[in-house]
Amino acid sequence: MKDMSRNALNFLFGLILVGFVSIQHTSAADGKTVFKQNCAVCHALTDTKITGPGLKGVGDRVPKGDWLFNWIKNNEKVIKSGDAYANKIFKDNGNTAMTVFENLSDDEIKAVEAYILNPPVEQKVAATGGAANAGGGEGNEEENGVNPLYIVLAVMVILAILIGILRSVRLSLQNVTNAKEGQLEVEPATFTEESKNWLSNNRRFVAVCLIVLSCIGMKSCWNSLFRIGVYYDYQTGKGYHPEQPIKFSHKIHAGDNAIACQYCHNSVEKSRHAGIPTVNICMNCHKGIQEGAVTGTKEISKIYAAAGFDPKKGTYDVSKQNPIEWIKVHNLPDHVYFNHSQHVVVGKIECAQCHGDVKAMTTVEQKTPLTMKWCIECHRKTEVAMAGNAYYDRLHEALKEKYKKEHLTTFTVAQMGGIECAKCHY
Amino acid sequence: MGTNKKYWKGLSELNQSPEFLKHQQNEFVEDLPMTEALNGEGTTSRRDFLKVVGFTTAAAALASCETPVIKSIPYVVKPEDVTPGVANFYASTFYDGHDFAPVLVKTQEGRPIKIEANELLKKHIGGTTARTQSSVLGLYDSARLTAPYAKGSASDWKSVDAAIGKSLADAAAGGKEIAILSSTIVSPSTHSVLAEFTAKYPTTKVYHYDSVSYSALREANDKVFSKKVTSTYDFEKANKVVVSVAADFLGTWLAPAVFSTAYAKNKKVSPEKPEMVKHYQFESNLSLTGANADERYMIKPSEIGKTIVALYNEVAKATGNTGVSANASIASNPDAQKAIAKIAKELAAAKGQSLVVCGLNDTDTQVLVNGINKMLDNYDKTISYEYHLNLKKGDDKELANLIANMNSGKTGVVITYNSNPVYTAPAKTGFAAAYKKVPVKISFAQTLDETAQLADYVCPDHNWLESWGDANPVRGHYSLQQPTINPIFSQPRYQGTRQAQDTLLKWAGVKTDYLTYLQAYWQNHVYPMQAKYGDFYSFWSNTLHDGLLHVHFAKAVEPAVIEPMAKDSSGKPLMTGVAAVIADSLALKKDEKKEKAEEKKVIAAEEEKKLPDVDYNAAAAKATAAKSGTWEITVYEKVSLGNGNQSNNPWLHELPDPISKVTWDNYITMHPEDVHEQKFGEMLRQDVDGSIATLTVNGVSVELPVYPQPGQAKGTIGVALGYGRKVESYKVAKEAGIDGGANAFEFLSVTNDTIQNISSEVSIAATDKIHQFAATQIHHTIMGREEQILRETSLAQYKEDAASNNPKAFIHTNQGERPVEEVDLWAAHPRPGVKWGMVIDMNTCIGCAACVVACTAENNVPTVGKDQVRRTRDMAWLRIDRYYTSDMTRKRAEEEHIGGRRMYLDMENPSFNPKVTFQPIMCQHCNHAPCETVCPVLATNHSTEGLNQMTYNRCIGTRYCANNCPFKVRRFNWFNYQGNPDYADINPSQQDLGRMVLNPDVVVRGRGVMEKCSMCQQRLQAGKLEAKSRSAYKRRCY
Repeated sequence: MKDMSRNALNFLFGLILVGFVSIQHTSAADGKTVFKQNCAVCHALTDTKITGPGLKGVGDRVPKGDWLFNWIKNNEKVIKSGDAYANKIFKDNGNTAMTVFENLSDDEIKAVEAYILNPPVEQKVAATGGAANAGGGEGNEEENGVNPLYIVLAVMVILAILIGILRSVRLSLQNVTNAKEGQLEVEPATFTEESKNWLSNNRRFVAVCLIVLSCIGMKSCWNSLFRIGVYYDYQTGKGYHPEQPIKFSHKIHAGDNAIACQYCHNSVEKSRHAGIPTVNICMNCHKGIQEGAVTGTKEISKIYAAAGFDPKKGTYDVSKQNPIEWIKVHNLPDHVYFNHSQHVVVGKIECAQCHGDVKAMTTVEQKTPLTMKWCIECHRKTEVAMAGNAYYDRLHEALKEKYKKEHLTTFTVAQMGGIECAKCHY
Repeated sequence: MGTNKKYWKGLSELNQSPEFLKHQQNEFVEDLPMTEALNGEGTTSRRDFLKVVGFTTAAAALASCETPVIKSIPYVVKPEDVTPGVANFYASTFYDGHDFAPVLVKTQEGRPIKIEANELLKKHIGGTTARTQSSVLGLYDSARLTAPYAKGSASDWKSVDAAIGKSLADAAAGGKEIAILSSTIVSPSTHSVLAEFTAKYPTTKVYHYDSVSYSALREANDKVFSKKVTSTYDFEKANKVVVSVAADFLGTWLAPAVFSTAYAKNKKVSPEKPEMVKHYQFESNLSLTGANADERYMIKPSEIGKTIVALYNEVAKATGNTGVSANASIASNPDAQKAIAKIAKELAAAKGQSLVVCGLNDTDTQVLVNGINKMLDNYDKTISYEYHLNLKKGDDKELANLIANMNSGKTGVVITYNSNPVYTAPAKTGFAAAYKKVPVKISFAQTLDETAQLADYVCPDHNWLESWGDANPVRGHYSLQQPTINPIFSQPRYQGTRQAQDTLLKWAGVKTDYLTYLQAYWQNHVYPMQAKYGDFYSFWSNTLHDGLLHVHFAKAVEPAVIEPMAKDSSGKPLMTGVAAVIADSLALKKDEKKEKAEEKKVIAAEEEKKLPDVDYNAAAAKATAAKSGTWEITVYEKVSLGNGNQSNNPWLHELPDPISKVTWDNYITMHPEDVHEQKFGEMLRQDVDGSIATLTVNGVSVELPVYPQPGQAKGTIGVALGYGRKVESYKVAKEAGIDGGANAFEFLSVTNDTIQNISSEVSIAATDKIHQFAATQIHHTIMGREEQILRETSLAQYKEDAASNNPKAFIHTNQGERPVEEVDLWAAHPRPGVKWGMVIDMNTCIGCAACVVACTAENNVPTVGKDQVRRTRDMAWLRIDRYYTSDMTRKRAEEEHIGGRRMYLDMENPSFNPKVTFQPIMCQHCNHAPCETVCPVLATNHSTEGLNQMTYNRCIGTRYCANNCPFKVRRFNWFNYQGNPDYADINPSQQDLGRMVLNPDVVVRGRGVMEKCSMCQQRLQAGKLEAKSRSAYKRRCY
């Protein structure tokens, strides 16, 4: 109870802090997102240089006025205009051109400019609090409550002791009466003999018990057969969440820092596999971000070990590269073909629909059963996004003709043959 | 009725004998060994039994409940072009010293898994054959060497290089010859590498020798046109008459992939173009080409020369030329003799649109063939020695010279490359004995083959899929070979393999790798031939992408002598070539006519040189001199195994021979009448065994089974090459035939300086041993079901009525006869979307079986081995049925009043010289398929796209569907072929290495499930997804 209340307090505290921070920086919140999505790959808010220079004190360095705005929008233009400072920093950074952000709106650029000039100082504290909370909450959850098995075991032990006591009481009582009646003292029968006697005296009861027990056993066997290869508990809604070799938190990356799923799982639109990010993708950011808010350098150094990267020198040693052996969380049943690009590009399904709210997960957990039944249920109720996809034009007309009587104009995956065996099994 | 009836089990019960009374008390007549078993006296004690039972139950329970931890291991740095799950295709070139094909290699996650034809090149250099398709499996062959060998044991490259370097230097200094023995080198840059090597070691001499020799073609061209080249043959332009004398140009002769692609075009018939090529074949073995011929005449091998001379004389007569004086009677077949006059007239009427080819490797015969084609005005039309072939340039004389030099001790070092002469050289040449005399023997073999076993050093070459390279197969055509996988055997895990060119460059002291050298060669020699690309980089990357470069004829000059390349101070070859300036080259590309006119000018200019006088009479006299014998043999190449380069490839062994349909075997083919006369086993059915005979050819005796082959000329026999491998590591090759079969290369002989595959010094003696064949088709004829199964019509009938012999099917109903489309037991399947179907043009199908191997590779079809094939458990999803014609037909039976029984019995027997029809059969995806209605678990059912779907997960293996399938295309997994150790030797997918060839998009089936053609469902789905995604993306871009 004490633990639980402390957890709740922690959590509340975290919530309040996050809320406070977000209220404080409503103006910069927009800028923060823009920054994370567009700038953070090359620029840090500190002194550290990633690909581009660190942005600490950038407001004091650059020429006043519209310069920073123009630079962010189209740095090539600024350089070409012959601006002395622009050409200087271009030269200082090894003539590496910065990306042109013509696609950003003026408002977005202004927001990001404001964010860069006044980076929120509390950010780190908030992140730490939140992350620690989430971690702590998860860790303690399993210690709560008493395992029912222990209760059963305790009851059994108590009962056994009780039976023993009652047996000895009965024996001594028997002996007392026997002594009174002048009979011989009864030899204490062994436990097995007595059990045998009891069983033979209560045959009907024993038979009924056996039948009931075997029925229960068979039913539980039957139930457990359905769980083979299923990494998901229907009752609790809890799924497989193995511990990964690196304590990678999707919450920090996809949630707090709002990195798009496709940035790391970048083959999701091209291939059947969404793709586990390769180490070079991690290094895009972690070349600069060398210390984490929660685990410090402990986990990030594992990336460096895999990439053969020396953070001090900033150099790679190809001979020391070693792939990271992640543990696959979402496992489909055997002998089925699943294609991510079909669902994401053509079906326009959001990642979260099958994977749950990954943005809130510190350890990734399977949130859906991933069984064939689950696939079929979804195919039965999901309507195909046919509009605008020329591939479906003729098929759509044909289906309308087929379901004329029902007056259907939209069709589910199942209605167009999406639950036929060979669509997934070949 | 009477209850007092008494029944006896036997007389003993009736008589109540004492023995009966004693036994009556015991339930079991014989004592069961229960007490021994329970007391542990038997082989298994009671305790053991219980332990085993307990363990298996527990293990089974645990295994089924365990949740496996599956790991996902991404790249550290993702290669730019690789997206896991998406296949990449690379243009490359397959060449193993024997077969050549420009190909596309399909790779998945960096592993080559399938070979496809390069459509860009198909027109020029042909598609793929069974052997090209199967070559991808060779990459994952566990027999491949992983390290260099020195004196019979594994070594390392450094010490091998040092030792060989010393030997080479010693040999060069001591004036001893360094012989490099190679099959035809089709790569111009490799010739350049050899020039570098020769520059360093001046005593080097390169010998070219092909295991299957075409030496006579070059000799004959030299004699007739003063050009020692192999001509190219254009079967597409030969659209009127083709005559082939013992040349299996569709199956194995010279460049079958090119010839069959071109030939098939003249077999395509439409109402707009009701024309076909007329094809005559003279041969003794029934070859794939003979099976496709319109008219086929059986002759003895000794009569090939005579047939050519007879044809020469008749053509001379028909074209107004003078003939030759030589005896040209075809004693064994007077019909053939008569036909020749008719054929000659047809040929003369089709001047410039015909072709005469001959498969005999005899210079004089080929001189006459050249003469015939010259009279028919075929040169520069259907044959060209200007557009010469650079394949099969081996010279039989060179082999003889090398053997002489090795015997005399002149040769100090011998290096074999892409060549295995200890296995392939004719026994009479005594190659092996001579080879052993050479002090230093080096082999570049990838496996420890027959030659490598005798070699002092083996420096294993890369597989072709791991190699860089180039090829110049025909004048003016250049193609590139690029690696599609990192060398599998490489450091640090293995000592590794090394590409032969790299090895040679290293020994030659050239300080650059072969890729750089290759690029330098292309910049200096190939790049200047073209004007399309202005800078070398775009030239190189575009050519690498396309796989082909077609250069202007006038510019495609091949240097007679290739010199070593000039180097800079660091030893790197200088890249100095500049693109050609062909003023109107781009216009020429568009205007083919103009290009052709230009070509002709060049040819005419070269023709001006006076051609030598040819003594056709002398040639004819020699060509007809071949001795005949009681028995004559033709040693032939199988469509599957070829010259044996891929002897260790299970896909090829399991591929039924297109004609005999026998798998996993090497045998004597003999006419069924001869088999009967010799009292050999007639093998009428699979369970009637064949006999083993002792065959002696040119003094070499082997034991081989006899297979009755309809269409084999009487008095002749055929034996296939490629078997009888004596290589310890070739586990697959050993499974074939009797202990791997017999090596037919030993039967070859050398006559008039050319290697002959025919002989009349043959004797056969019966043994009392029998042999079990494993054939996939044991019925030979159509048995009067022409209308139901195999519908044929002639061109004449087709011209009259396009629907001739193709009657519509009707069904008898109570309303009279109605067309089959109108009558159905079931309601029609809904078809809202796409409906798949597949059409095969039976006119053009030549039965080459390349598709069968392609299907095996694409769909992870297991190999099952000889014993299982024999039990009709072969797994091929796609088979090609071969039907012979029979003399007995329904019509004849009716006319001659022959009874049904006799008619059917006679129908079983193929004609003396049957016509052959091929019919590819795979799942027909029937509407309301019979298999669907009998499946108790709905594992097979129909899709809205018209496919008969097979769901392995659901299948419980009742095999009802297979029994109900009218096409017999369903295959049952009797064993876990991909996991059962009994099949480990023949199923490469059981090894870590071989497993890499599996297609990840197709499930590997386990024991107890049915499987069949899915119409490449994985490809259909991928195609649909591509279409959907593109449309979806398009909307996003708006």
